[in-house]
Amino acid sequence: MIGFAGLSHLGVVSAIATAAKGFEVLAYDGDASLCESLNRGQISFFEPELEKLLKVNQSRIRFVADAAALTQCDVIYFSRDVATDDQGRSNLSPLTDLIERVVPSAAMGATLVILSQVPPGFTRRLAKKVGQSFADRQLQVCYQVETLIFGRAVERALYPERFIIGAADGRRALPRAFTELLAAFTCPILTMRYESAELAKISINMCLVSSVSVANTMAELCERIGADWSEIVPALKLDKRIGPHAYLSPGLGIAGGNLERDLATVVALANEFGADDGVVDSWISNSRYRRDWVLQQMHQQVLSRIQNPLIAIWGLAYKQDTDSTRNSPALFLIEALKPFRIQAYDPSVKLDRVSAANLRQTESALDACAGADVLAIMTPWKEFSDISLDDIKVSMKGRSIIDPYGTLNGDACIEAEFSYFKLGSGDCE
Amino acid sequence: MRLQSRGIEVLPLSSREIDLAKPEATEKLKNLVRDRDSLVIVSALTPDKGKDVATLVRNLSMVQNVAAFLEETQCAHVVYISSDAVYADDANPVRETSCCDPSSFHGLMHLVRERVLAAAVQKQGTPLMILRPTAIYGAADTHNSYGPNRFLRTALKNREIKLFGMGEEKRDHLCIKDLSEITLLSLERRSQGVLNVATGESVSFFDLAEMIKALCGNETRIEGSPRANPVTHRHFEISALYKGFPEFRFTMLADGLTESFAIMKRSLVG
Repeated sequence: MIGFAGLSHLGVVSAIATAAKGFEVLAYDGDASLCESLNRGQISFFEPELEKLLKVNQSRIRFVADAAALTQCDVIYFSRDVATDDQGRSNLSPLTDLIERVVPSAAMGATLVILSQVPPGFTRRLAKKVGQSFADRQLQVCYQVETLIFGRAVERALYPERFIIGAADGRRALPRAFTELLAAFTCPILTMRYESAELAKISINMCLVSSVSVANTMAELCERIGADWSEIVPALKLDKRIGPHAYLSPGLGIAGGNLERDLATVVALANEFGADDGVVDSWISNSRYRRDWVLQQMHQQVLSRIQNPLIAIWGLAYKQDTDSTRNSPALFLIEALKPFRIQAYDPSVKLDRVSAANLRQTESALDACAGADVLAIMTPWKEFSDISLDDIKVSMKGRSIIDPYGTLNGDACIEAEFSYFKLGSGDCE
Repeated sequence: MRLQSRGIEVLPLSSREIDLAKPEATEKLKNLVRDRDSLVIVSALTPDKGKDVATLVRNLSMVQNVAAFLEETQCAHVVYISSDAVYADDANPVRETSCCDPSSFHGLMHLVRERVLAAAVQKQGTPLMILRPTAIYGAADTHNSYGPNRFLRTALKNREIKLFGMGEEKRDHLCIKDLSEITLLSLERRSQGVLNVATGESVSFFDLAEMIKALCGNETRIEGSPRANPVTHRHFEISALYKGFPEFRFTMLADGLTESFAIMKRSLVG
């Protein structure tokens, strides 16, 4: 029996994926109503394919609000997402409270696995504490790197590229029940000491941020000198040192919370231990700069020319296929456009009136365009690319489209006499 | 004039009324500025009056006396007109968080003044707005520094515009009306913090000269000269201004030059 404690996005996805691999799963959260909903097959957040996966595997998974039930488990994952503040700093208190609540219920010889996003040093401190407080139980403490991606979490949980496991001594074999569980996913298992595993997760994210920062920097140069970044990317991806899956899409800054957390952790560690983090500061600065790209385009191309404009926004989530708005560029844009009227549509996100008084949310993308002087496509939802340009043209009053991710066909937009602005693409004439 | 046109009482004080560099300036300010008045500090000895240490010290004496006044007076709001000279020369694009590392005494003076004023207003809790404008142009500007004003004057007077090198350097040029408007908006909203005032559009001095030539007539000659210094550019990223004053619109450079040209031409003819 595999246990999960903490049922936020990470816990729910991981628990269901484990059940899908044929294991009996007991998933605990102190919120009884949440457990009831999950037992009815209802998930409180949007993640493609997850509800379907839960339905298929419901017989192997039980959601409970009583921590004592976890005593049946050979392995207990601590899977609560760690929240961050607007500086990317983690609030570990809810996780440590959860651990204190659950560990007393762990059975003799059980393996406790930290799946939550913790800073380097956390797991060894925990292992020491558990060893001291429950010496007679022979509990094993491990750390497992989570690499879920909002919108692609099911795929990532079912078919991980590899497992990165932190242990007290990376050279020793992992507990049997834990090894059997990991083996069911048929991917490489890399075992290392706690600190290395904790830093491995951060290192992965730093590589991603680095790639995105390169893409953003070069894409801006493309915009300025009349090149097109989308023409350059295929050349980079054929370079073995860069690779076909490299993160080379320019964006509107880092969002979602996880990368920001790791950036903040690296800065804090570098500060504490005296390491050079100048490049990390630059990534953070570049991210904030690019977040305002649409605002800059909006002012330069539209607001400087039109009195009392009506602005249409498609997409509020920080990326497609999620309802998360954490550090979403769309929300920053709406805040910066407070004096102006905005009509917005997102397939998954509904904002309350208080958070954006200047905003009217519409029931469809085309409704948002009605009478608008400019359209900004802030989230590249697939459904937006299917909308007819003719319908957009009929609906809008103005002829400006700011489409950072190239969701629409840029050439078709220009042919339809729209002024069209995309990240990484400059006018070469 | 903009403030007065909106019905706001204004007391303009020049060095004729108060010499801020003299210690008695503090008392004079106390007599002239009432509690709950807003104060705009724009006084400085500009580089054309001197670039030496003595000018720096005199400028700092001025702020010392103003600071002494602010520590003891409950002003409603203070706006300090600083300069983009506080930034490092290679800070590109310049934003409010860019490194402040002035290469001139003029820039150093503004940076020190900013810090002195920030410390002075703390005692009374007076809100302080620091505006850092880039190079300003406008027909009545007296500094005649390299850029729109000098180019317009020499083009009108001598039918020539002289460039350093071939005018490759790109700079942002701010119309004086726009700085006035941002100052006014800051006063109206009692804005606090630091804000760069620049248009976000940089043009080369050569392109600027071409624009002025188009205004003044084709007989105007644009002449290059041997370059004494390496080419440097300055660009601004003005998202903070967009966020602080979303409805504000800059004067387009072409429009500002046309207006300055008309006024200068009238005064030349007159």
